[in-house]
Amino acid sequence: MAVAAGSAPPPPSNVPLLYRRGVRRLLTQGIYVAITAVVIGYIYTSLDLREFGFGFLDEPAAFKVGNQWLVDVDGVTNSRLTMYLVGVWSSLRAVMVAIALSTVLGVLIGVARLSSNWLVAQMAMLYVEIFRNTPLLVQVVLVYTVLLVGAPLIENVFNVGDFFFVSNRGMAIPWPVPDSGFWGAPEWFVWVWVAVLLLFAAAAQRVRANRQELERDTGQPHYANRWALALFAVGALVSFFALGAPVSMDLPMIVGTHYIEGMVMEPEFTALVAGLTLYTSAFIAEIVRGGIQALPKGQSEAANAVGLSGYQRLTLVILPQALRQIIPSVTNQYLNINKNSSLAYAVLYDDLFRVANIVQNKAGHALEMFFVIIVTYMLISFAISMVMNFFNARVTAQRI
Amino acid sequence: MVDMPAPNPQRIVLPPHRERARRPRIVRLREWVKRNLFHSRMGTLLTVVTAAVGALLLYGIIYFVFVDANWRVITDNRWLLFAGGYPMDQEWRLWFSVSFVFLLIGMTYGTWASLGRRDHVFIVLVSGFAILLLAHGGAALWSTLWYLIAIGLLYVGYAITIRMPREAGPRRTLQQRIVTGLLIAALPIVLIVLLAFGGARPRELDGFVLNLVLAPVGIAGGLVLAIPLALGRASRMKAISWTCTTYIEVVRGAPLLGWLFVALFILDDVIGGELIVRAMVVLAVFTAAYMAEYIRGALQALPHGQGEAAHAIGLSQLQSTQLIVMPQALRISIPPMVGQAISIWKDTTLVTVILPLRELKGNADSAIAQFEFTPDRIEAYVFVAVVFWVVAFIMSRISQRVEGSLGIGER
Repeated sequence: MAVAAGSAPPPPSNVPLLYRRGVRRLLTQGIYVAITAVVIGYIYTSLDLREFGFGFLDEPAAFKVGNQWLVDVDGVTNSRLTMYLVGVWSSLRAVMVAIALSTVLGVLIGVARLSSNWLVAQMAMLYVEIFRNTPLLVQVVLVYTVLLVGAPLIENVFNVGDFFFVSNRGMAIPWPVPDSGFWGAPEWFVWVWVAVLLLFAAAAQRVRANRQELERDTGQPHYANRWALALFAVGALVSFFALGAPVSMDLPMIVGTHYIEGMVMEPEFTALVAGLTLYTSAFIAEIVRGGIQALPKGQSEAANAVGLSGYQRLTLVILPQALRQIIPSVTNQYLNINKNSSLAYAVLYDDLFRVANIVQNKAGHALEMFFVIIVTYMLISFAISMVMNFFNARVTAQRI
Repeated sequence: MVDMPAPNPQRIVLPPHRERARRPRIVRLREWVKRNLFHSRMGTLLTVVTAAVGALLLYGIIYFVFVDANWRVITDNRWLLFAGGYPMDQEWRLWFSVSFVFLLIGMTYGTWASLGRRDHVFIVLVSGFAILLLAHGGAALWSTLWYLIAIGLLYVGYAITIRMPREAGPRRTLQQRIVTGLLIAALPIVLIVLLAFGGARPRELDGFVLNLVLAPVGIAGGLVLAIPLALGRASRMKAISWTCTTYIEVVRGAPLLGWLFVALFILDDVIGGELIVRAMVVLAVFTAAYMAEYIRGALQALPHGQGEAAHAIGLSQLQSTQLIVMPQALRISIPPMVGQAISIWKDTTLVTVILPLRELKGNADSAIAQFEFTPDRIEAYVFVAVVFWVVAFIMSRISQRVEGSLGIGER
């Protein structure tokens, strides 16, 4: 309260005990705790906890999990926990791709909504109104249905030059894999190359910063971005061949009715990611629009006055400032993507929620499985929040 | 520039925007097009590309809707989609509820907003859509008639309330109280009409009717739980704020599907009862956590002076909360609350995913499971999307109008 510390009067002693603030608070909390304890006790006693425990997760799974990528488990020798972790990995993949895509699309649509071009602004508004006001479940299922019904059967696959396939089994594209290269080097050489790449990236960053500083100090152009890019490209190419080309492209092929090798994007994955992206980008677009509109008009007028182009105005003046307002709300949307990824269940994409359901069907233990689910979602949410808080701190640290 | 008439010395010179308005319509139109579509070379390119994409999309949509699609999957399954397992001989209960709600919508508009031309166009479009659906099959005539009565009641309610004086005064207060009371009582009344006195059993709520029941129950239950939760979280008593925070964070930590999983497998032991009731409880409990956060945000946004002033004029803590703080906080939190309500409206589809409950999307699945309609899956889901969109759009429109008339966002 507004009373300054230290000047608070001592409690008058003639106030009855029951009317003293401290006593009241203690009493209220006591009653509250008692009621809460009764409720929790009731829930606790009504649950069947005789077999409570997480041991069932170590038993062999005896079920298959689809949509695997970079992992290969058949479910025969693997434990249920392993299968669940494979599901977690599938969820993470979908969430990461959906976050990236919906951010790009959301910012584009949000900026388009404020375009001075009437047609573009109207189209963006239409997009937002359509995808924000329809259930995500229906969007995901609709995309899935279109992919299954609309795409050709794998027998008459849509084939571009034998390296890009589209059919009702999904889309297959070439994918880089570690290779022994022309030295016959071991496959872990690819990691050496990755390390070298990181080194060059750091060097390029350094060169860029130096040249930018020079440009600021002298006023002469020093082409920071071009130099950095050239350095990185040359370094990457030279080290690639010096290490004996440790990476090769894995071309997809069709054997029978299945794709092998390459990178396959199953319709389930595509539908889930597409649904999450369409739905969330509409919300992100609104957040971006709100963030830009909250800026004083003078900012864009000043950018025009110093002769920036439309693109420069957006990327150098408007968006960096709008980010301060945008990031917290967008973080919320990322957390929503994480939770909404459980809709994978509707298109039979084997994410963590679906695998958990399969485990529960096989082994029971619904309560334990729910604990596992909620803890996993909270951990992923926590990770997303940490990353976004880091970004937020960087953005708000810059004085404007 | 266009040739302007020679300046007339007698003519009064107006500010530029009024001056522009004096020019002929065609000239203004041409200027508008130039300014908004072709103001630069890039702008022209953008317009052409967008127009091409838009035209292509429009063609695709028109072709799908009028040529390619077989809408018999919808019209032949009208009752299945609308009410599913609800006893058909009790249809009047559904229509009675719809009419009552439409009457209330009309009264709400008449009391706090007004219907503009765009609203009338929207009502006519939605009515056309609805009648297109209803005018098929056995009881087509009766259903259409019922629908027309409902729409008529919307306008009756509107016509009565819009004529009342808007100036603050006892009559205005009375009117607002009556409409608010009816809005609060609407959900219990509708539930009684649907379920009590020889109506359906809860598990017979099905199809679109189930969405229409679940969402308001979730929203109303959530709001009732959210207010004490928000106050509890903001409380200075550690035991209370700590438990409320835990509740809110745990509920927000897992997706709604996870909580429906709880309703299916775990709540059975705890509260028992019919699955649909458990689903309602879960929806309310879930919504409450999100709404509590919005109310808490509004509580924090309120100037401290409000509570202090209430304290200074001698109001008790309870009176201050009830009369000063909460009304203002609720008013501030209306926009995000409506967003949450729309979100719950869309999330009612999720009961189909893991619960053996069939709402509109679930019954669309049943419709396309029939042999003759298996090729029409896209049509069925597009229909579901359109129906959900229409209701969500109505919700957001009403809230915008009410916000506008309450002056939310203004100080």
